[in-house]
Amino acid sequence: MAQENFTFTLPDLGEGLVEATVLEWQVAVGDTVERNAPLVEVETTKSAVVIPSPKAGRIVELHAEEEQVVPVGDPLVTFAVEAAADAPQAGIVGRVPDEEARPARRVRLRPPSD
Amino acid sequence: MSANLVGDVTIRYADLHPQVPGDGVPVLLLHGFGTDFGMNWRAAGWVQALGAAGTRVIGPDLRGHGASGKPTDSAFYLPEHFVADLVAMLDETGVDKVDVVGYSMGSRLAWELALTAPERVRRVVLGGFGAKNAFDGADLSDPGSGDTPFDLVYRTVAALPGNDAAALAACARAQASRPFDPDPPLTGIPLLLVSGARDALAEGAAELAERCGGTHVEVPGRDHANAVSSRAFRQAVLDFLAD
Repeated sequence: MAQENFTFTLPDLGEGLVEATVLEWQVAVGDTVERNAPLVEVETTKSAVVIPSPKAGRIVELHAEEEQVVPVGDPLVTFAVEAAADAPQAGIVGRVPDEEARPARRVRLRPPSD
Repeated sequence: MSANLVGDVTIRYADLHPQVPGDGVPVLLLHGFGTDFGMNWRAAGWVQALGAAGTRVIGPDLRGHGASGKPTDSAFYLPEHFVADLVAMLDETGVDKVDVVGYSMGSRLAWELALTAPERVRRVVLGGFGAKNAFDGADLSDPGSGDTPFDLVYRTVAALPGNDAAALAACARAQASRPFDPDPPLTGIPLLLVSGARDALAEGAAELAERCGGTHVEVPGRDHANAVSSRAFRQAVLDFLAD
């Protein structure tokens, strides 16, 4: 079945906080996690929280070490998730890529050097 | 779901049934000073962990905290008033007996509940708590002005949105007027204490556990603010409450 990677960034934890420290990962690369299962424990200047997993999937990459400070919006973890059945997929008849996704024209000013 | 208990102070509480109910005793979660049920327990992963274990979770916003009433007269915050709220809440929810898990001030109240109404309590967990007087050296006419562990906690929580500094100060004064007394010890009810190895407010936890014939688990590297969300703490409690 098709899988796609999804990167979860550190969410806004409220109260104007701009960063959090990773205390302890509750998952490891290769683990399969359920949605809402404990993902990572982080601490801000206000409190310590356990962030639940936003997706069901397999952990592909952890983007921060324990004790590392992560700004809100920076990558936290990448999951491989099952592609939704109705998601755009290459090769399905009758579905064309969005117009915006295609460059209007390609201009090569200079030949590749290698 | 959440509901409100109407008394001299209105108490908001959560009563959360697991999707797949087990046959275990419900757990009553008592948060610490200046936080609330959502912040101390839900955000720290406890509702998820207990729910996954099939446990019904009941947890108030203690008076003066969260979505509950916040009187500013310290007479409302004597320990017996908190205990009366808890017993009324157990009556209201039709729960005969609970396992009570407290953190910090919530641990002190868990202790009081177990002494006052032992027939309502099966097991007790005291987190972030020792025999030490939490208010030692603090000037409670101006809480937050000093450098004691309590002042540090007060400064952190007084600034949290939704908190009423006057209500918290009144609560602190009332609690301090009845310093925790380890006598009589809590015996006859299984007791677990859990605290961060760097938690200055939980000094004496091991001795208190020993006096009561209980167990103390120390979470390495953690302090008063971040022991509560640690996996080691949750696991120790799940193990203690199992069977």
